[in-house]
Amino acid sequence: MNRREFLRFQTMGLLWMIPGVSGLLFSKKAFSELVPDVAVVKGSAAAATRAAVELLGGMKEFVKPGNRVIIKPNMSFPTPPERASNTHPDVVRELATMCKEAQASKTLVLDNTLSAKELCLETSGIRQACEAIDSKMVFALSDDSLYRTTEIPRYRSMRETEIMKEVLKSDVLIAAPVAKSHSSTGVSLSMKGMMGLIYNRGIMHRRYDLNTSIVDLCTILKADLAVIDGTRVLSTNGPRGPGKVLRENTVIASKDMVAADAYAVSIFEWYGKKFKPSQVSHIREAHERGLGRMDIDNLKVQSIVL
Amino acid sequence: MNFRRASQIANLVLFLLLLAKAIYSSNVPAAIDIYLRLDPGLIALTAIGGRMLDIAFIPALLVLAITPFAGRVFCGYLCPMGTTLDYSDKLFGRSFEKQFEDKRFRSIKYLSLFFLFGASIVGVSWVFFAAPLSLITRFYGLFLHPLLVFIADESLGHIRPMAEWLDVYSIALMQIPTPRFATQMFIIAFFGALFTLARVSPRFWCRNICPSGGLMALLSKKPFVRRYVSEDCTECGRCVAACPMGAISEESPLVTHHRECITCHTCAKICPERAVSFGWAKTDYDAGATELAYSRRQFVITGLIGTGTAITCLTGLSSPYGKPGPGQVTAPGLIRPPGALPEMDFLVRCVRCGECMAACPTNTLQPIWLKAGILGMFSPVLTPRRRYCSPECHKCGDVCPTGAIRILSANERIWAKTGTAMIFRRKCLAWEYQKSCMVCDEVCPFKAVAFTKEPGNPVPVPRVREEKCAGCGYCEHFCPAQNQSAIVVTPMGALRIFEGSFVAEGKRQGLKLAITPELKEGALLGEDDLTKGYAPGFENSK
Repeated sequence: MNRREFLRFQTMGLLWMIPGVSGLLFSKKAFSELVPDVAVVKGSAAAATRAAVELLGGMKEFVKPGNRVIIKPNMSFPTPPERASNTHPDVVRELATMCKEAQASKTLVLDNTLSAKELCLETSGIRQACEAIDSKMVFALSDDSLYRTTEIPRYRSMRETEIMKEVLKSDVLIAAPVAKSHSSTGVSLSMKGMMGLIYNRGIMHRRYDLNTSIVDLCTILKADLAVIDGTRVLSTNGPRGPGKVLRENTVIASKDMVAADAYAVSIFEWYGKKFKPSQVSHIREAHERGLGRMDIDNLKVQSIVL
Repeated sequence: MNFRRASQIANLVLFLLLLAKAIYSSNVPAAIDIYLRLDPGLIALTAIGGRMLDIAFIPALLVLAITPFAGRVFCGYLCPMGTTLDYSDKLFGRSFEKQFEDKRFRSIKYLSLFFLFGASIVGVSWVFFAAPLSLITRFYGLFLHPLLVFIADESLGHIRPMAEWLDVYSIALMQIPTPRFATQMFIIAFFGALFTLARVSPRFWCRNICPSGGLMALLSKKPFVRRYVSEDCTECGRCVAACPMGAISEESPLVTHHRECITCHTCAKICPERAVSFGWAKTDYDAGATELAYSRRQFVITGLIGTGTAITCLTGLSSPYGKPGPGQVTAPGLIRPPGALPEMDFLVRCVRCGECMAACPTNTLQPIWLKAGILGMFSPVLTPRRRYCSPECHKCGDVCPTGAIRILSANERIWAKTGTAMIFRRKCLAWEYQKSCMVCDEVCPFKAVAFTKEPGNPVPVPRVREEKCAGCGYCEHFCPAQNQSAIVVTPMGALRIFEGSFVAEGKRQGLKLAITPELKEGALLGEDDLTKGYAPGFENSK
């Protein structure tokens, strides 16, 4: 080995070391290279939910010890899980369990139900599913005194709205919608689901453009984690159904609620057809306004089958 | 505390507990309305008006049956109205040295009874103006309960910040929705007047006006068990002043007006000589002391006036007399509760006690003023703008004491169509303002709202499929259009059948009412031709 060879050898070693050392020094960044933007898991409701969140780094990535967590499922209708108009109780229970494991100080499962509160909590099966974790966890809130008027700084049409105080008080917001069609907005997923945390929804239909005001709402109610329950998909006649229910056994999770919604639009069939995320107004507008990304082709999607 | 007070309080408490159970429990026992079915006037007049006998009426018949033997025991020991007035008298009344006596007042109760009887002869029931249990149930259920809930809710608002701070979630997130009712002013004015009349005499209502009391008074001219005064009586007159019913003659304490006596034993307790006792009849001091202030002839005339008034109302424009069909003028908002009998039968059976309205969990059942004429005052209607009528719920039928609203099984209840929704297109956000809405479709439990594409309109618009619409009012309640809804339920097509199956009748009429249609895995449900090839809400779709 002559000096030239030695230097070349040393340089090559140095070059090889850079990623290695940087990996040690900036391990989190390197890890994030591995974490997918969208995690897609096929399996039974509870296992797929857990696996999907694990793919994103586990619940500890989102919930720090002592945090207050809000889980927002769909439980607006007095229909059983097989109708697919509400989130599957197992998905909600698994999320709540994982929050508890991550040492959340309090986890609340909240919705402002359309139908009679008690009937919804009962028939959806969600209250019973969460009873074992905490008997004071699942609430349907409709009393106006439990809401506080909140400004929406990045609004386009809806400047303020009344949001549940408990949500405003919380540290972490988890959107846990069921994947379903919606006669007015195409689909009802994690973004549309945020309408379940506010008091006056009628005004979004009446005064504002519904799609624009959904995006307005999501600028302040931006879920830290979106977990879409695609175990059953209400493919037609949503949001209440009864409609065609697809057995997809899929759970989609993402830090980006727009990406999660976009992906759900693209992989499931709606009214017997396939759609692009850009065909759903509120998803497209959210993407354009920089709330999240709908260009799923450019995103890192990791799919596993359990 | 003596036995009578104990009995009064126990009965009032039980009455209130049953009412609370009707309001707060989703499962109500069959005896929930027992006190209403104990009211002899209410039941007798309903039975005559409705031409019916029902085993549910046995309690009142028992009360009537014991009256000739034991007198007006019901008034003294059972009646929640009487107890309420006893206590309100203490609040609003005054002490009487000498009672204001006018025999003519006494007989109003017979006049009211005969008037109501006269009306019931031609099938009109006005018991709700005067039957004590109807009035008192409304007083507690529709007036006092909302008042207390309002106060509870306001108090909760003051405790809540503390509970939020301490993270006591059961209190912090507690919600107490205050029920609201129409026709409150009638109840307030009526009871305000009754409470004030305590200034004239104690139990003014019971002694002078109550038709149920009148009916029992007719039967207790000389009960077997009655007041008896021994020769120890010094005629000091204390009992005369103390008697809450003015049943002791002012001329002589020895003489009792048995028709007025509620056997409360106040006279026996107050007597310094212990000269008064109640037992099997021993003397005839009371003979001739129970004259009525009016002649029989006058009672007959009053009855005829009742009949005449009733017929006048039956010939009123909005009267439901006769067969439904052309020529019948009905107010558009007259949506009766699911399972309500045909209108004429419904009105005669409904005693307007308000149990159904107090028990209604969505507060959609409301009493009305004159929407259905004088015959229909205070009767219940659905008010969908207030809230919908849950197809899963039929408490109104379960608590109805007279079967004006039929008791229905879960499936029968779903088919008990109350009306049909119609869309006012000029008000509809989708039809007129071309806004993406479809809330009516979103909330409809029966899938009775279809969406179609209209040329020139970028958003889907709703249409009602009348054969699937049960008139529950979800759409009207949630419609985001302000003030009047753009989709309104009218009683058109309501199923009102006296007997038989709503399912069978509905199917015969070609209705397709279901809230849980059979789910065929992966298959589109029902005839969805309107949506075929069109995905509502998506852009650039066909």
